Amino acid sequence: MGTFEWKKYIKRGIMLSSIPLVLAACADDTESDTTSGEDPSANDTGDSGNGGEVAELEFWSFWGSGSRRETIEAIIEDFNSEHDNINVEHVYQPWGDIWTKALAAIAGGNAPDVIVQDINSVRQRAEAEQATNLEEYIEDESFSEKFYPQLWDTVLYEDEAYGVPFNTDTQVIFYNKDAFEEAGLDPENPPATWAELEDAARALDIESGDGYEQIGFYPRWNIGPDVWTLNADEGVSWFDDEGNVEINTPEKVAALEWMLEWQDYYGRDTINQYEAEFGSGVADPFISGLVAMRGQNLNYYVNLQENAPDDLDFGVFRLPEYEEGSGHWTWGGGFVLEIPENTDNPEESFEFIKYLTSTEVQERFGMNSFDIMANIEANENLTTHPELGERGLEMYQMAEKSLEKTVITPVPLTAPDYIPLVNTQIDAAFLGELTAQEALDAAQESVENLVEQNQ
Amino acid sequence: MKNADTSQFSKAIQEIKTLKKKNWSKRKKKEAWWGLLFVAPFIIGFLGFMLLPMLFSFYGSFTNYNITSQMDFIGLANFKRMFTQDELFTTSLYNTAYYVLFNVPLTAVGSVFLAVLLNRQIFGIRAFRTIFYLPAVLSGVAVYVLWMQLLSPSSGLVNTVLSWVGIDGPAWLFDPEWTKPALILMRLWSVGGSMLLYLATLQNVPKQLYESAEVDGAGFTRKFFHITLPLITPIIFYDIVTSTIGAFQIFQEAYVMTEGGTGGPSNSLLFYNLHMWNKAFVAFDMGYAMAMSMILFIIVLTLTFINLKLAPKWVNY
Amino acid sequence: MDLSKQAPIEQAGKKVNEKHFKSRKRQQFIGKIIVYIILIAVSLVLLAPLGWMVSTSLKSMEEIVSFPPTLLPETFHWENYAYTVKAFPFFNYMKNTIFITAFVVAGNVLSNSFIAYGFAKINFPGKNVLFALVLATMMVPGFVTMIPQYILFTKIGWVGTYLPLIVPSFFGSAFYIFLMRQFYMSINNELIESAQMDGANHLYIWSRLMLPLTKPALITIGIMSFNGAWNDFLGPLLYITREENYTLQIGLQSFQNQSTTQWNYLMAGATLVMIPTIVLFFFAQKYFVEGMDLTGGTKG
Repeated sequence: MGTFEWKKYIKRGIMLSSIPLVLAACADDTESDTTSGEDPSANDTGDSGNGGEVAELEFWSFWGSGSRRETIEAIIEDFNSEHDNINVEHVYQPWGDIWTKALAAIAGGNAPDVIVQDINSVRQRAEAEQATNLEEYIEDESFSEKFYPQLWDTVLYEDEAYGVPFNTDTQVIFYNKDAFEEAGLDPENPPATWAELEDAARALDIESGDGYEQIGFYPRWNIGPDVWTLNADEGVSWFDDEGNVEINTPEKVAALEWMLEWQDYYGRDTINQYEAEFGSGVADPFISGLVAMRGQNLNYYVNLQENAPDDLDFGVFRLPEYEEGSGHWTWGGGFVLEIPENTDNPEESFEFIKYLTSTEVQERFGMNSFDIMANIEANENLTTHPELGERGLEMYQMAEKSLEKTVITPVPLTAPDYIPLVNTQIDAAFLGELTAQEALDAAQESVENLVEQNQ
Repeated sequence: MKNADTSQFSKAIQEIKTLKKKNWSKRKKKEAWWGLLFVAPFIIGFLGFMLLPMLFSFYGSFTNYNITSQMDFIGLANFKRMFTQDELFTTSLYNTAYYVLFNVPLTAVGSVFLAVLLNRQIFGIRAFRTIFYLPAVLSGVAVYVLWMQLLSPSSGLVNTVLSWVGIDGPAWLFDPEWTKPALILMRLWSVGGSMLLYLATLQNVPKQLYESAEVDGAGFTRKFFHITLPLITPIIFYDIVTSTIGAFQIFQEAYVMTEGGTGGPSNSLLFYNLHMWNKAFVAFDMGYAMAMSMILFIIVLTLTFINLKLAPKWVNY
Repeated sequence: MDLSKQAPIEQAGKKVNEKHFKSRKRQQFIGKIIVYIILIAVSLVLLAPLGWMVSTSLKSMEEIVSFPPTLLPETFHWENYAYTVKAFPFFNYMKNTIFITAFVVAGNVLSNSFIAYGFAKINFPGKNVLFALVLATMMVPGFVTMIPQYILFTKIGWVGTYLPLIVPSFFGSAFYIFLMRQFYMSINNELIESAQMDGANHLYIWSRLMLPLTKPALITIGIMSFNGAWNDFLGPLLYITREENYTLQIGLQSFQNQSTTQWNYLMAGATLVMIPTIVLFFFAQKYFVEGMDLTGGTKG
C-alpha cells in the first residue's frame, strides 16, 4: 500500500454517518490502493515472447524468514538481471497454508506462475489438471538425469513430467558421541543393523528410580512405523510401484513386532511421559541429553548448529539395516517447482525453474540453507565445498550416502487419504489391543476398501 | 414476546386496534415495509455472497467435483459411499457427537458461573475480567504447548492435583479413551468468549431486584435461580444454539493437536470436519466433502429446529 | 418478573433487626474474601500460557530447546522484540490489520444491530422463514463454500483487495444478528409502541432509543468482531495477494517453516499482536457499566 494514509480514510469513514456512504468509501479506497501498480494476477501482458515485452512472473514459496528467504531473493535478483525479458517477483506464503491458497487460486483462475509444492502429491495435481505438463518445455533429453531418480519419479504422471524437484531430505539417526564414550561404545563405529542398534541402546540407557535419566533410543520418535516397515521390506512402502497395497507383508509385521518390543521394554508410561514433555516440539530431548540416539531428518543438523551448545559432540549414521545386507533403506520428502495450469507465461516460468534447479544455483541455495538439494551434482559439489565447515561437509557426505537408499512415497492416486486408516490400526497395536499381525491385516483390508471406493 | 401482556399500555393499544381497524391494515403494510428495510442488508448480503456458494455446494454434493478438472453428476453415489463404505465417516460422526454432548452443556454452565462471579463491583474487577477473557484471545501454539504439559500423564499439573485426592489420572492425550475429555477440558478453559455475552446481559438486570431479595434474606443460590437465571435465558438459548452449531464444526484444535489432521490416537480426534477436510483438501474429493457437509447441515438443522421448538417452554423474553 | 411483587419484600426487609444485620455484614465480608481467593486462583491458571509466551519471547533459542524448561529466562533477551519487528514489516502489517479491523468492527456493529431490530421488533410476512435462513447460514461448514466463494470474488474482481474481508461485514453475520435479536427480545415492546404513538418511525426508534439501550450488546459485538478480524488468518491468506498488504497473523507465520520454529520470535510477535486486544477489552468494559443506567427499558 505504500504511502497509504489510512487515518484519513478512517476519519472520513467516521464523518459519513450513513452506511451506504461508508461502504462506498471503503470500497473505493481499498480497491484503488491495493490494485494500484499491480498485478501479475491480472496478467494483461498476454502473449509471451513478443519482442521487448517483459513477462512478469509471480513465484510463491513458504520461505518467510531467515537464510532461505535471503538466499532465494538474492538468487531471484540475479535471475532478473540476467534475463531482460523476464521479471520474477517472490511472494512469501505461510508454510502449509500456501497449498490451500494455491488450490483456491488455481480454481479461481488467478494462480501464480511458479509454486513450491509438496513432492508427494505431484501426481495428484497432474491428474486433477492443476499443474502444467512440462514435456514441451523440456528440450534437453538429459534434463531428468540431473536429479536423483527417485525424486524425478515423483514428478511423472503417465510418464510425463509435471514438476521439477527442488530439494529433498532423508531420515537418519543422530547420536551423542560423548554418551557413546561414557557407555563404553566406539563413537566412530555407530550401529549398522537393527540388532546392533538395540545393543547400543541398551548400553546407553541410564535408569534412575522409576524412570530413565537417559534413553538410548526409541524407534517411534520422529521416525514412524511407516519408515521402519519400509526399511525391513527392502524399500517397499505401504504401496508398491504398481499401487498395490502391501501393508501386511511378513517383513512389515516383523518390523512392527520389533517396535512393540521396544515399547514393552521402556514401558508405555515412560514413553508417554517423554512424548508429553517433548511432543510439542519446543524442548529438544537430544540437545538436552535425555536421549542418546534420535531419528531425524538430516536437515535437523541446522537446528543443532543453531540451538545446541557448542560442546555437544554429535554424529550421524544411516538408518540401520534390518538384517545385514538388506540395505539401509530410509524415507525422505522434499519439494518441487510447479507451474499451475492456465498461466500466461509457462515458457518463461520454465526458464526460471530451469535456473533454480541448475547445478550452480542449487549449490548456492544448499550452501546457505543446508538443504539437501535435488540436483545430484550440486550435492556432490557440496560434499567438498571449500566454504563449508567440517560439519557441513560431513552432512552432505551423509546425504549422498543415505540418498542411495532413500524412498520417496508419493500419495497413491487410488487412496490419497489412507493415513488415518493405517494409523488407527497401528495405534491399536501399540495400545495392546491387537497383535502386529492383526493390526496390519486390518489396515490392509481398510486401505483396500478405500482403493475400491476410489476406483 | 407473545406472552400474555396485561399491562395498561397494551390494553390501550388493543383498544386503538379495534377502533381503527381500517387504518390498521394500512399500518400493517407500512410495518412490513419497515421490516423489509431493516432486514434488507442481510438479504442483499445473502444473495450477493452466500447464495451462489451454497447452491454450488448443494449441487456439488451430487457430483465427483475435484475442484479443478471434473464435476460430473453422479447422483447419490457420494451418499451411498458415505453410509456403506467409508469406515471413518461413522468414526468421525461418533467423535463429533461425543464432543457436542459434553462441550455444549459444560461451556454453558461454566460461562454462566464465571459471568456471575465477575458481575460485581469490587476492587480490581476490570483486571480480573480481562484475565478471564484472555483464553478467548490467546490462540494456537502457546495454548497447545501449555496443555501438553498440563496434561502430561505422570508429571502434569492436572494429574498431580488428582493424585492429591487419591485419583490415578489417565494418560489424557495418549489414551484414545481420554483424548476427547482432554479436548473438552481445554475448551472449557476458554469459555471467556461466551462469558462476555452473559456479562453483558447481567448488566441489564435491575440492581434493586438483588437488593430487595437480599433484605429478604435470600442467599446466593436463591438469588441466582430466582432472579439471575430467568433473566438471562434468552442468551442461554442463544449460547446453546450457536455453540451446538459451533461444536459440530470443531476443527482447529483437533487439526493442530493431531499434526495436520491425521486423527490422533486411534482416530479418537478425527472429527467430522477433520475428515471432511481430508477428503476435500488431501484427496481433492470435494464432491464427497460437499455431500458430507449436506449431512451435517441436516443434522444441525434438525437439532436447531428442536431447540427453537422447545424455547418457549423455558426462554423468558 | 414483576417489579410490583418486590415491594412487600422490601418492606419486610426493613423490619430486620440490627444484630442480624451485623452478622450479615461479616458474612458478606467472608464471602468477599472467598470470591477473591477463587478469582486469584483461577486467574493464575488462566495467566499461565501468557506467562509462558512472554517468558519464551525473552529467551534464547538455546534455552528454549533445553530440558527441563526454565520458568524465567536466564538472561532477558529484549532484543528478540527488536528482531521480531524487523524480521517482517511489522508496523506496515499492523497498519493493514488496523485498517481491515476498523471497517469490520464498524460494519458488524452497525449492520447487525440494524438487521436484528427488524427481526425482533417489526412484524412482516416471511419473517420466520427469513430468520431460519439466517440460522442456516451458520450451519454450512466453511470449507465447502470456501472455494466457490473464492471463485465468486475472483469473478467480481475483488481478489487482491480488502473488499472480500470488509464488505460482507456490512451485510450482517448470522451469529451477531441472532445475538442482537436476543438482546432486543428482552426489551419491552411498550417502549417502542409508545414512541410510535408519539409519531416516531422505526429508523428513529432504532437510532435514538435502541442503540443507546443496547450499548453492552454493541460493545460485546465490537469486542468479538475486533477479536475475530484481528486474529483472522484464512481470510487474509486467501484474498490478499501482495506481501505489502499482508496482516499481522500472516507475518507471524514466517517464523515457522518445514523444519524449524523460531519460538522466541514467534512468541514475541504473538505477544505484541495480542496487546491491543487486551487493552481494548480492558477499556471497553467501562461501557458495560454505563449501560446499567438504562435498565428502565428492561422487562423485569
